[in-house]
Amino acid sequence: MKKVQREIFYVFSPFLRVFHWIMVASIIILFVTGLLITKPAGILATEPTATSMSVDLIRNIHFTVAYIFLAAFILKVYGFIINKGDRLFPHFWRGYFYAQTVDVALHYMFLRNEHASYLRNPLARSSYVLLYVLVAIEFFTGFAMYLMTEPDAFSTQLFAWVNVVLGGEMITHYVHHYVAWFIILFAIGHIYMVIRAEFMEGESEVSSMFAGTKILAHHPLDEDDVDPDELDNADRLKRWTNVGEGISKIRNVGGN
Amino acid sequence: MEKRETMWESYRRRGLSRRTFIKGCVALTSLMGLSSGMVSKVVEAAETKQLPVVIWIHGHECTGCDESFIRSAAPLASDLILNNVALEYDHLLSAGSGEPFEEHLEKTIQAYNGKYILAVEGAVATKGSGIYCMSGGHPFLETLQRAAKGAAAIIAYGTCAVSGGIQSAAPNPTGSAGIGHFIGAKDVVNVPGCPPIPEVMTGVVMHVALFGKLPPLDSQGRPKQFYGNRIHDTCYRRPFFDAGLFADSYDDAGSKAGWCLYKLGCRGPETYNSCGNIRWFQGMSYPVQSGAPCIGCANANFWNQGPFSDRLPKYGPLGDIDKIGAGLAVATTAGVAAHGVLSVYQRSRRDAEAAESDEVKGGEDK
Ligand code: HEM
Ligand code: HEM
Ligand code: SF4
Repeated sequence: MKKVQREIFYVFSPFLRVFHWIMVASIIILFVTGLLITKPAGILATEPTATSMSVDLIRNIHFTVAYIFLAAFILKVYGFIINKGDRLFPHFWRGYFYAQTVDVALHYMFLRNEHASYLRNPLARSSYVLLYVLVAIEFFTGFAMYLMTEPDAFSTQLFAWVNVVLGGEMITHYVHHYVAWFIILFAIGHIYMVIRAEFMEGESEVSSMFAGTKILAHHPLDEDDVDPDELDNADRLKRWTNVGEGISKIRNVGGN
Repeated sequence: MEKRETMWESYRRRGLSRRTFIKGCVALTSLMGLSSGMVSKVVEAAETKQLPVVIWIHGHECTGCDESFIRSAAPLASDLILNNVALEYDHLLSAGSGEPFEEHLEKTIQAYNGKYILAVEGAVATKGSGIYCMSGGHPFLETLQRAAKGAAAIIAYGTCAVSGGIQSAAPNPTGSAGIGHFIGAKDVVNVPGCPPIPEVMTGVVMHVALFGKLPPLDSQGRPKQFYGNRIHDTCYRRPFFDAGLFADSYDDAGSKAGWCLYKLGCRGPETYNSCGNIRWFQGMSYPVQSGAPCIGCANANFWNQGPFSDRLPKYGPLGDIDKIGAGLAVATTAGVAAHGVLSVYQRSRRDAEAAESDEVKGGEDK
């Protein structure tokens, strides 16, 4: 068997990883309950005196999960602060960012056999910014609708402007609903790209969101974007060296 | 002009008892949405404040607001305009007409400069220098601005005056808009609705008249006591909504049983008004109660948010968004699947090429 040299990079802090999976669960639940709020299925019809009110329940699940999702964001923020690898966002202000984007795009269009190796490629970086923007829109439009049961409350004042800016609360519903679909489209593309990275490059992509490490066969261009110090965690690294015979070398990026 | 009466004086002149007067004040208090503790304040104001002068002008509209107004029962609209305010000029209700009538408007504006209440119904037609809405030989915009200049407070009655109304529906040929942009930095109370509830109309003008200041307003300038909650949040059909029991058409069993009208396009979930609390015509009914979904007539732009019988997902310019979304999702899935197949093919070609060049190089281990 051909032997491939690989390097391990510690990229995602546990905070980001936990946040990511909470996000995945939240998005799925929010989307399903959201669609049911718009168009309650006949099966939800219940005898009011006999049950715990089903559309109400669906709405409460939607709102509770929204709060959980929002609360989980603190994990993302904390990881963002403490770990460089949680900050893999697009470097719009750098010239090379655009050259690299073209490189990756050409590969995705099958015009190039491969793209350079990255811890996270520039297109992926941009797509996550897009996703966070979409989620922010959901968050603002969602709370603008939700909190207006108490128009005078202080918390409502933080969101009520959304209904005014969009030109009416009807439009807020509308935006919230449309954007929910865009998030789903992102998710389909995202899941595909993650799996694709796994089978195309054979680089532990999916597992990186569980273990936090990426095990790459090529040297990534953006290695400076992660924290070299994290690699000193010898125990974890040892575990990884045993995973497959393909892994023959562990490189401590920090250099020692 | 002659000395104006107070409300108490006007009661006395008509030979009404103190008891009737107090009863009237109590009714006014509740109608203005105030707590009963405020009765003494209301009585005091009614005894001492001269009846406020009101100028009531009408722009681009259908005068449906007046149809609503004259049906106010507590207080009776006739009582209000004859005894509780000094209505000096009203396009619709005044007996006078012609030049003397227009002259009277000028006189009133001058005599009570800075003191009168200006009530405005109807939108401003802006296109063509305002020729689409004229009265007394002037574009309405001119009349509005002249009257607004000396007003102590302005009340915008109806969704037209507040945000343009039905005549401003796309493509808005007359360039109609709410009065807000044309009156400078004046205090305005927005009383939207197409039309507003009668008692809300009288309640607001009485509040301004008696207390000489605007009622507490929300961020969109609407009196909080009347626009403080969504129809949906106090709807008596809400338990059916929560339970998932909906009328699917206007004549099905659910509709007969009085179930929630959400699926028939009800705008209750985004409409702020008192329909469910005060109801219409002495509490007789309101649209939802009569089996007609709320159309959101107190909302800016409701005229562009048709069809009224659809909510999301069908509502919107693109058609059923859930079908479109699902279609896009399927297309995306198919797209990425195809991309995946091509990627695998590309990789196998790439690997084959690499193997070839390895062999050429003599198969040295890599
Ligand atoms: C982040 C915080 C969020 C909050 C506070 C929130 C809140 C709300 C509220 C208040 C409604 C209207 C419920 C009603 O009309 O009774 C709603 C509807 C909905 N939500 Fe969310 N939501 C959030 C996030 C999301 C996300 C992330 C998605 C999808 C991925 C989503 C999908 C939907 C959908 C499809 C609807 C139905 C829209 C309608 O027809 O009115 N929501 N949400
Ligand atoms: C089972 C499905 C999923 C898997 C296996 C998965 C896996 C991953 C992996 C491996 C990464 C790191 C990618 C990289 O290094 O470039 C990642 C990042 C990300 N994923 Fe997912 N993901 C899934 C579903 C989702 C869904 C449904 C969403 C949201 C709609 C989502 C949003 C994100 C975001 C925003 C990031 C960037 C995190 C950051 O750095 O802030 N993922 N995902
Ligand atoms: S009828 Fe309209 S306002 Fe009443 S509960 Fe149903 S959706 Fe809400």
